[in-house]
Amino acid sequence: MVRFENVGMRYGAGPEVLRDVTFVLEAGSFTFLTGLSGAGKTTLLKLINMTEPPSRGLVTLFGQDLSITKRADFPALRRRIGVVFQDFRLLSHLSAFDNVALPLRLAGRKENEYVQDVEELLSWVGLGDRMQARPATLSGGEQQRIAIARAVVARPDLLIADEPTGNVDPEIGQRLMRLFAELNRLGTTVLIATHDRALIEGMRAREMRLVDGRLVELRTGRAA
Amino acid sequence: MIAANAILPRDKGAAPLDLVIGVMAFLAALALGASLIADRTALGWRAGLSDRLTVQIVPPTHKMGLDEEVDVALGVLRATPGIAHAAPLTQDQTLNLVQPWIGKDALVADLPLPRLIDATITPGAEVDLAALSRTLKQVAPDSLLDDHARWIARLKGLADAITWSAYGILLLIAIATAAAVSFATRAGLQAHHEMVELLHQMGAQSGFIARAFERHYFVSALVAASVGAVLAAAFYLGAGALEFAGVEAVPFLPPLALKFSEVPWLLAVPAVSGIIALATARLSVLAALRKIY
Repeated sequence: MVRFENVGMRYGAGPEVLRDVTFVLEAGSFTFLTGLSGAGKTTLLKLINMTEPPSRGLVTLFGQDLSITKRADFPALRRRIGVVFQDFRLLSHLSAFDNVALPLRLAGRKENEYVQDVEELLSWVGLGDRMQARPATLSGGEQQRIAIARAVVARPDLLIADEPTGNVDPEIGQRLMRLFAELNRLGTTVLIATHDRALIEGMRAREMRLVDGRLVELRTGRAA
Repeated sequence: MIAANAILPRDKGAAPLDLVIGVMAFLAALALGASLIADRTALGWRAGLSDRLTVQIVPPTHKMGLDEEVDVALGVLRATPGIAHAAPLTQDQTLNLVQPWIGKDALVADLPLPRLIDATITPGAEVDLAALSRTLKQVAPDSLLDDHARWIARLKGLADAITWSAYGILLLIAIATAAAVSFATRAGLQAHHEMVELLHQMGAQSGFIARAFERHYFVSALVAASVGAVLAAAFYLGAGALEFAGVEAVPFLPPLALKFSEVPWLLAVPAVSGIIALATARLSVLAALRKIY
């Protein structure tokens, strides 16, 4: 699903924030990515999400070497990935419903085909009564749940999430993790960057840790 | 539910932009109207004079009397193939012609004014003016044939200058309008940079994002420019109404009024503004997206 070989990354002329990172995410796997702030977790997620190209090394996604993949093929690859951004990145002028429906629209789905899916998902994340609310009127936790719903609504092949439970209470956090686990059970490969040890300990999943830009394998495992 | 054109929010700073586009469209429509009036007037001037002849008979220096020379010249003109009509101007008509310059005093009536014969050429007919002039000179030695060629050339030059000036102003305003729309589009794109990036990261095709911007700026420019063009049309129709009421805006110049049949031409301004906005938005968005990985 995802393969990194000796990947290095630096922004401009700055120091390398990722160094010789090598790992494989097998299809259907569930993995936690941990590390201190500034260790390079977000940068690694950006490379997987094709937001940035690596400075060196090889990134292979869905079996395609990104260094030789045509740019015209990037959108189709990106649509196979669901992303939960740390800062949510919701569109402020769209309702909760329309934000969640956005990936389906981008995939060319007709509105009457996805209305029920979106409404069910919003209910599942506890926002069934806030579907028409604009992000600005929602709390940080509610916005985060919309961001998560948007990332999973299209049943992506790969889900990457940057601190997805950082703004929600433990109960909602556990509920969201169950959503991720359910998606994983249905075949989605999941990679979650988090600081939350309780979350990590609650799932018997693989853990990769970034230390000063280098990757350390801490634990192998399977989704609970 | 999300509408097809709701991906892009309405800019908070869009009202000043719409105002700029509206004003530019108003000026462009005025310039277009002026060029239409100039073109029509120039055509009218040329048509009005090109089929007219004037024979001037100055007070005689020969044995023949003035009236006798007028009669002879009239006879020649009326006998010339291609001359549809020839008639002498009365003394009063002649005095009326010179009145704006030398007044209407009793003294004027005593001046040795020339007699004028106004002749009209049959439309499409070709008259050998050189031969006619020679014949007139033979029978009426104090006659002078004026085919208005000198005036026509000057008027043509003036009309062409007005027409091309109007086109030049129109072109400059069109360039300024295009620049304003282009600048606004780029500014809008800059303001929505994060949103464009997000859609890009979510796998939106470049064409999808470009279409959202195209539609947004096309509609904005079309509406704003339509308001400007309608105001310009109202200005010209108002000028026409004043002319109808007998008010002459500027003496000796053609009235600043468009015919009803010319007003639809002003619709070209919002149409072109919309197309410029659409093309600029598309090119700007695609260029910006090419810079993102």
